[in-house]
Amino acid sequence: MLIFDHVTKRFGANVAIDDASLTIRPGVITAVIGPNGAGKSTLVNMAAGSFRATSGRILLDGVELQGLPKYKIARAGLSRTYQNIRLFDGLSVLQNLEVALVPRSLPTLIAQAFWLGPGAGAEVRDTCMAVLQRLGIAHLAERQAGSLAYGQQKIVELARAVAARPRAILLDEPAAGLNHGETDELKAHIQTLRGPELAIVLIEHDMRLIMSVSDDIYVMNRGAVLAHGNPEAIRDNPQVQEAYLGQPGAMGNIEAAARGRRNRVRLRAGEGLAWGQS
Amino acid sequence: MALMPIAVVVVGVFLPAYPLRILDLVLLYAILGMGLNIVVGYAGLLDLGYVAFYAIGAYTYALLASPQFDLHLPFLLILAIGAGLAALAGVLLGIPVLRLRGDYLAIVTLGFGEIIRVLMNNLDWMTNGPQGIARIDEASLFGWRVSTPVDFLYLLVGLAVLTFLFVWRLQESALGTALAAVREDQDAARGCGIDTTGVKLIAFATSATIGGVGGVVFASMQRFVSPESFTFWESLSIVLVVVVGGLGNPFGVMLGAGLLVLVPELLRAYADYRQLLFGVALVLVILARPMGLIRREYGPSWFARKLMAR
Repeated sequence: MLIFDHVTKRFGANVAIDDASLTIRPGVITAVIGPNGAGKSTLVNMAAGSFRATSGRILLDGVELQGLPKYKIARAGLSRTYQNIRLFDGLSVLQNLEVALVPRSLPTLIAQAFWLGPGAGAEVRDTCMAVLQRLGIAHLAERQAGSLAYGQQKIVELARAVAARPRAILLDEPAAGLNHGETDELKAHIQTLRGPELAIVLIEHDMRLIMSVSDDIYVMNRGAVLAHGNPEAIRDNPQVQEAYLGQPGAMGNIEAAARGRRNRVRLRAGEGLAWGQS
Repeated sequence: MALMPIAVVVVGVFLPAYPLRILDLVLLYAILGMGLNIVVGYAGLLDLGYVAFYAIGAYTYALLASPQFDLHLPFLLILAIGAGLAALAGVLLGIPVLRLRGDYLAIVTLGFGEIIRVLMNNLDWMTNGPQGIARIDEASLFGWRVSTPVDFLYLLVGLAVLTFLFVWRLQESALGTALAAVREDQDAARGCGIDTTGVKLIAFATSATIGGVGGVVFASMQRFVSPESFTFWESLSIVLVVVVGGLGNPFGVMLGAGLLVLVPELLRAYADYRQLLFGVALVLVILARPMGLIRREYGPSWFARKLMAR
């Protein structure tokens, strides 16, 4: 369970996050949406340790993440993907995943490098291959990460984020820059991540994706939580429509998307794009 | 792969004294290059002060096995002490500077290299200052007196093989993976739970250790040390061995060591233009092969796979 407890972040006179409280439960996919500048990315970056909140707490399974260095936050069980992909381009796909499973203790690392300890190489490799298999990219294992297509890189990043079996995972605009087919593929992958132990946070603009995969939605506006509820409730919330959606024409798209989810009807390509890419 | 050192020994034994000395020098630079490669090639940190660790090793031997303090400790013991001191220096230097990246790190390490040299130049009571320390003991290993160039050939080939095996293992181990991640994207590495400062410190220390060992051997070979041997030019040469040969590839480093020692020797006839020609050659190599003569992926593991496949 990932909890943002009355978190406020000021940059000088600017209030980026204004007393936001969010609870992200394991086993469900929680989306955080809102217009540009609403504070979604600030929230993610604070949880991942890029900077500290001005006030408030961020707890992962009861552990305060504020003030921990980034690598300790990752070790506490929080992993993330990035808005603009950040893979280790020069390494193979498999190696990218192995990085997430490097032994945590420095003495162990030294011992392995000096032939003293047991090398866990094969075991780590198998774990990583299993993750790649689950996401259907096992055939790319030996390819250089930087040479892959954009959509494939996104999936590799997803694989790297889940390889270390995190407790919570932050997906920062995973669908940005993907075409429809790729987004559908991504959607399927996000669905497979769902597990009783894992809290999934989805920061996204693509409403079609959000409405079809998320169980719980927080709407942010100007740094504050404007609304919280399931996709249907959010869709019907007049405040949300006014603050976030702006244009009246956009409603049809959300409705279509939400209906699509309820009826398990696959959307036609082209729908739901209207404000997904604004 | 095992044939290479044997070939070197077989060829070396029949060489006259002068080329043999050059071969010894090539091996020494190969060892130093493989050591520096851990920091520059694996972790992607530009260290321009590697000579500091080399100097620490050399002076350790010079002070502990010469009439200077009338100490005559055994070679192996000094080898361990020199390696230890160099490792310690690596950690002490690493703790403050490893927050820095790129150019800043390069400048600070460059400064560190100079500090050690200036220190040796000025600690007259200990190091004789610019005059250096002469009449250093002959090295001896389990009763084997290492004194002629051929003896050093054996010693250096042995050390080079050990170093090669060690850096290969390091590169293939989880530590190597962690260092590669640091090289590619330090922030993303942190996001994956890598203690970047910690692994860089290990890299620095192991690299320094190899530099220290090289220094001890160097002192026992020359039987004379002075600050002149440890100028910035020396650091630069070792960096060039790595960069020209192949960043992150021990094979490349060996080739680089060969070229960087041999080419200036071959150009000796053109005394005045030597540095110029050498410089032009370096620029051409770097322009033509920015990743070094032998690319990273054609390393020992690639070679081993090729052998297995046959």
